[in-house]
Amino acid sequence: MDILKLLVNILLFPGGLFAILLALFLLGIDRKLYARLQRRVGPPIHQPLLDLIKLTQKETLIPRTANMTAFRLAPLLGFAGMLAAFALIPITGIYSGLYQSGDLLVLLYLLSTPALALMIGASASGSPYSSVGASREMTMVLAYEVPLLIVFLTVGMRVGLAGGKFAVLSMSGIVNYQLQNGSLLLDLRMLPAFLAFLCCIPGTLGVVPFDIPEAETELAEGPLLEYSGSGLAMFKMTGGLKMLVLSALAVALFFPTGIGSFWLVNLLWFIVKCLIICVFSITLVRATRARMRLDQAYKFFLIYPTSLTLISLVLILLTFRMPS
Amino acid sequence: MSAIALTGAVVLLLFEVIAVIKSQKLMTLLIYSTVAEVGYILLGIGSGTYVGQTGAILHLIYQIIMRGMVFWTAYLMVRQSGTQDIERMKGVGRKTPFISTLFAFGIFSVMGLSPFKGSVSKFLIIYSCIENKSYFYAAFAMLGSILEAWYFIKTLHRVCFAEADEAVPSAPRKKKAVKEAGKLTYVCITVLALITALTSLYPETLINFSGNLATSLFGVQKLAELPVFDSQWPLVVLVPYIGAFVVYIIWHFLPKLRDVLSVCLCAATVVLVWMSGDIDGLSRLFAIVISGLVFLASLYSLGYFKNEKRNGRYFFFLLLTLGSLLGVATSTKFGNFYVFWELMTWASYLLIVHEPTENALKAGFKYFIMCTSGAYIMQFGILLIQSGTGTLDMEAVSAKLPMLAPGMLIAIIIMVIIGTGVKAGLVPMHSWLPEAHPAAPSPVSAILSGVLTKIGIYGLVRILFAVFGVGLLTQLGSLGKLSYTGMAISVLGIITLLYGEVMALLQKDIKRLLAYSTLAQVGEIVTVLGLGTYLGMVAGFYHVMNHAIMKGLLFLAAGILVYRLKTREIKAFRGIGKVMPFTAGCLSIGVLAIMGLPPFNGFISKFLMLYAAVDAGYWYFAALILLGSIIGAIYYIKLIKTVFFEKYEGPAVKEAPLSMLIPLGILTALILFNGLFPQYALQLAVSAANYIAAKGSIAVTAIPNIRIGWTFAIMIPMFGSLLAYIFGRRSPKTAGWIAVAVMCATVVSIITSYSQFDIYSFGFALLIAFVGLLNMLYSLGYMGHGHAQNRYYMFFVMMIAGLIGVATSKDFFSFFVFWEIMSSWTLYFCIIHEETPDALREGFKYFIFNYIGASIAFLGLLILTAAAGNFDMASLSQRLSGVDIGTASCAIGLMTVGFLMKAAVLPFRIDYQMHPATAPTPVSGYISSVLLKSAPYWIIRILYIMGGALVFSRLGTSGGNSVMMIVISWIGGITIVGAGAMALVQRGIKRLLIYSTVSQIGYIILGLSLGSALGLTGALLHFVNHMFFKDLLFLAAGAIMVQAHARNLDDISGLGRKMPFTLSFFLVGALSLAGVPPFSGFTSKWIIYEAAMANGQVFLAILSLLGSVFSMAYFIKFMHSAFFGVPSSNSESVKEAPWTMLVPMGILAAISLVLGIMPGLPLMAISKVLALAGLSAPAYTLFSVETPIGTGQVGVVTMLLLLGLVVGLVFLFSGKKKVRFTDAYTCGVNDIDRDKINAASQNMFEPAAKLIRKLHKLLVPIFGDGEEAEK
Repeated sequence: MDILKLLVNILLFPGGLFAILLALFLLGIDRKLYARLQRRVGPPIHQPLLDLIKLTQKETLIPRTANMTAFRLAPLLGFAGMLAAFALIPITGIYSGLYQSGDLLVLLYLLSTPALALMIGASASGSPYSSVGASREMTMVLAYEVPLLIVFLTVGMRVGLAGGKFAVLSMSGIVNYQLQNGSLLLDLRMLPAFLAFLCCIPGTLGVVPFDIPEAETELAEGPLLEYSGSGLAMFKMTGGLKMLVLSALAVALFFPTGIGSFWLVNLLWFIVKCLIICVFSITLVRATRARMRLDQAYKFFLIYPTSLTLISLVLILLTFRMPS
Repeated sequence: MSAIALTGAVVLLLFEVIAVIKSQKLMTLLIYSTVAEVGYILLGIGSGTYVGQTGAILHLIYQIIMRGMVFWTAYLMVRQSGTQDIERMKGVGRKTPFISTLFAFGIFSVMGLSPFKGSVSKFLIIYSCIENKSYFYAAFAMLGSILEAWYFIKTLHRVCFAEADEAVPSAPRKKKAVKEAGKLTYVCITVLALITALTSLYPETLINFSGNLATSLFGVQKLAELPVFDSQWPLVVLVPYIGAFVVYIIWHFLPKLRDVLSVCLCAATVVLVWMSGDIDGLSRLFAIVISGLVFLASLYSLGYFKNEKRNGRYFFFLLLTLGSLLGVATSTKFGNFYVFWELMTWASYLLIVHEPTENALKAGFKYFIMCTSGAYIMQFGILLIQSGTGTLDMEAVSAKLPMLAPGMLIAIIIMVIIGTGVKAGLVPMHSWLPEAHPAAPSPVSAILSGVLTKIGIYGLVRILFAVFGVGLLTQLGSLGKLSYTGMAISVLGIITLLYGEVMALLQKDIKRLLAYSTLAQVGEIVTVLGLGTYLGMVAGFYHVMNHAIMKGLLFLAAGILVYRLKTREIKAFRGIGKVMPFTAGCLSIGVLAIMGLPPFNGFISKFLMLYAAVDAGYWYFAALILLGSIIGAIYYIKLIKTVFFEKYEGPAVKEAPLSMLIPLGILTALILFNGLFPQYALQLAVSAANYIAAKGSIAVTAIPNIRIGWTFAIMIPMFGSLLAYIFGRRSPKTAGWIAVAVMCATVVSIITSYSQFDIYSFGFALLIAFVGLLNMLYSLGYMGHGHAQNRYYMFFVMMIAGLIGVATSKDFFSFFVFWEIMSSWTLYFCIIHEETPDALREGFKYFIFNYIGASIAFLGLLILTAAAGNFDMASLSQRLSGVDIGTASCAIGLMTVGFLMKAAVLPFRIDYQMHPATAPTPVSGYISSVLLKSAPYWIIRILYIMGGALVFSRLGTSGGNSVMMIVISWIGGITIVGAGAMALVQRGIKRLLIYSTVSQIGYIILGLSLGSALGLTGALLHFVNHMFFKDLLFLAAGAIMVQAHARNLDDISGLGRKMPFTLSFFLVGALSLAGVPPFSGFTSKWIIYEAAMANGQVFLAILSLLGSVFSMAYFIKFMHSAFFGVPSSNSESVKEAPWTMLVPMGILAAISLVLGIMPGLPLMAISKVLALAGLSAPAYTLFSVETPIGTGQVGVVTMLLLLGLVVGLVFLFSGKKKVRFTDAYTCGVNDIDRDKINAASQNMFEPAAKLIRKLHKLLVPIFGDGEEAEK
């Protein structure tokens, strides 16, 4: 029974097929909207799916300098990580998260797997461009993880302190609290943290203005440079999934409220919320900003989002009574 | 006192002063000196008492005989040299040995010293003054005597001892025909000498005669008996005394027999001392120490003086010294005591100047003047006692002490402290000691340091504590529990100790170094004795014995080095251990012992001394003693390093002759025996202390149980390591396999003794042995081409033995013994195994840091055990609540600080230094993964299982958490980030891993200091997980280092294709370290974050999460630099590591994987450990852990990831399967050197690294740069 449920959760819904399709859909919307903002027509919304299929039909090129095993298997790590992560995030009214077990810190760790995969793959390729890309990727991780983890802990504390504990870190605990007491987004004290989280999303995904590791104009796609065929497809898919996971996470952490009890409405509502997050944090930003330098980005994350979320944290610590 | 007396006093002082001024001309000097004697006689007559007048007449008679001899011989010598200018008479003694000997004899007799007792006339005169309460007259007389000693010794040096200056031509003398002295002259002076001897030996007749004469001449009545200054000599004194003369005579007839006879006499004395039952415990202890050491020194002297002419004289004075030392130690009357005291000074002085170099004469002069002056002052005190109580018998004096006024008592006490303090070398009366020790021949140095200083201590103890008694001293005034007198003594001791240690630090001459160290050790003993408690006595006496053994050994061993290399410069001994292994080995053991390291004797007595100090309530004395020891450790470990581990460049030398090595061997054996089985020799110290307790009204308290808890699990590796050393001498492989076998046996023995330990000890011990086994197996490959492998295996296995002891000890004494065994010398020798300058420097720093940390923990341990009065942990933890809060928290706080230092979590230099990169990699891995855990292991035991956390929380809480614990948490949190950041910027392969370890142990500390069951669970789980994955990482790094001959990350590149297994194992370790789920580091760190959050420590949670990000970053850097990229030219020929290295890595990797997926496995044991602490573990299943604020479904996550992987694999390989190999894209640039094409490790993560370096730079000026170690 458990195994069966697990299989369904990871292969069909919400992980697996559903997640992939939704991710591709989000990517498609993003590309379309991006094009419109640039006054282009843009590709059809199902273009990412077509790209994916096309990539799988291409032969795989492997550099002679590469460590073949690591090079070929690296993409799997991030992909599996994202599938697992999505299975742990509850969707209000439809899906309660696997065994109510999703833990915020587990998610934080899983979120780092795509970056890890990218770096291992890049490093294993033996290309100097890739290795520079990998180094930049890690620098970005060092930068955005700081505000990101503080946001997570801030949310955990906010929910916990309201419930007479120091913190609640289980996903279901956080979502259920909001379902009963209203979304955290409506709490003004949490607004800076939410903004910080939005800032982190493009950084985590490595899109403009934070596409510094890939930087096609300097590094010719950096970590992805030597990838081709299915491997490249898998990285692209991982990127889409990560976008989905982050927006679903933003929804779960800040406004998980559902509408009624009909699953389809809730599902659509969830997709809409994800879309809004994506549009605001990704599409609009990348359409309007140019790429930052690595050191600028590093400073940016350590100063603005970090301060924002620390403001939330301090406000919460000051305004709630500590449990004895 | 009459006008005659006044005249006398003025005359004697005036003429002594004039004699000093006129001391250039021999005859003039003698004349003035003689006039001064008239002053003494007048003083005696003027005293108007029977005693004084008898003394005056006696003095007159003596002076006529002795001065007659002196004048006569002086005249002969002046005639011989043709001048009476003393400076020009230099060396005349060498030409006329007989006459000059008699001259010297005469001079000494005049001063009241001779091998035939000595005259008592001056004694009587001074006593008469004191009896009349004219103390100033007595003081004048004494001052005169001191002046007299001053010029006479000067004269003797020039005339009798000094060699003739080669530069001064002796031509004028040759021109004059020197008339040989006639036979009659010789006969006459010999007769005079004989009379002197006889009157000294049998003075009674003469004294009676003088008494009668005095009565008839001056009409005083014999109201009281004359004070008896001299009584029957005991057998133990007579044997060496008479023996000395026999040896002296035999010297002239059978020189061969003489040496053997001397040694036999010494041996006979030892036996006599051992058999003599009529002496009390105090005397017995000192007598045994004295005779034993002198016997060994005499044995040693056989070799040392083999080719020397003058050694007949040497043995003569050696036996006299022995006799007089024993006399001091066994006499029960102050008179004898004093006589022997003077004779001892005199005889030992002649030993010091045995090699009459300019230096030795100077030193001898200083020694003699200081000691006789001291003795005269003490004599004054003794005479005061006599006049006050009317007796010199110690027992009687002791009973009659209340007759003395308090002021008088204080004066006597001061005089005694001065008199004995000079001998013992207490600062500021020490300055003879560092001069005399080096100047004397080595066996004499050993005696000086080993027993002569001790006799000073003996005098102090005997008079102040046995005769006067602590009760009386306390009545005179006290400061807290300590009497003023005791306080004064202790403070003198502390000053001496610190002065000695600091001065020793500055020495370049080995014997001076040892001399200053003697000062320090004496200071220690005196400090503890000054406490006046029973325990203090026991400890001090035990150290008296042990120090005699250790310092005797050190001087004798150093003597051998000096003997062979003809220099005392420490620099010259570089690497001598390689050519003279036995001597240097003994020297090293002596050094380790004197540093107070187990399992040697110095440890036991130092432990007892410190315990006594703390027990008496003077923990700061203990702290100062420890401070002194730390300073001492610096120069001693340097000495070992110089002697053993540097390159030998001196001339080819052989080991010393056997007769010199035997005493060394015996002393080394004694060091070990007293260290391993302290109870036997301690009995001597105890009976001495019992005697004092009985005499001096001290309460007898229980002596702490100092039994070392040797179990099989410890003994097997401890002695097995010796097997590896002995049988592995020829074949390194054999040594390695023996070590592996020993470790197997250890594992088995631990498993079979399951029921003896609690689960915590058992679990840790098993892990220790198991990882030890793996690392030993790995060493077979790693050390394959190394040097001195048997030594490596021996110390490595010994260290593991110590560690098992640390894990399984049930009492604090054993614990500390094993703690020191594990972390001090065994580990030091492992760390510096490579003997490179780097390794030596880093090892040295490690040793000192560790020593400091151990000292701090030790102090805490002593305070705790002394307060609870128990070493046993089980009963101690029950009594902990009864200990007052200040003491308990101070003790536990100190222990925690010490342990934190060991755990390498105190930031900046200490962290890295606990764990030098220069050690062989299997050892590095072992330190990182297992050994450093001993500290958190003990912190947990003390805080949770023994209830220390309760003490902390009684001290004050904040938000439900104890403040102390919060401080510890923050130390842990800062360490996590600080060390993580440092790891990020490292280039050295091992340095990166080391900083990573520091950071990871920070997690353990953070977890355990959160004070919750959850935090503790996380800490313990990380404790276990980290052990495996960090060892794995080190072993993988070691494989790279040894296969590619690299130390820095930039030296290598692209090894992944050459070493695929190593790469896979490394990845398992690295992913575990980065805490990627479901690898093993994840669950444990996750529990720690959750625990921090559950306690509301959100900032600590942030710090620890940040640390994890860093760990991912440095692992990426390591992986990228070492394994991936284009293989650089020096990585081209690298091969995969041999199976002996791969198998341990494979096992560790497998365990890491299993532990990651199934955290329930270790949690089963951990929950039992928590139960020991009375805590209940969080709910767990085999695959998941549940905390109050979240759930870690590791099993589910694993399944999810696995399914994801399967999906991904299907996807990846369902597309087009065609694969083509291409060149990597280089933007058309094809001519880049492949060594340059890889991104260098220092260029990784530049902005972050820059920031870290910037922050680090702020700290560098304060704490030094961590980068220097690997260039």
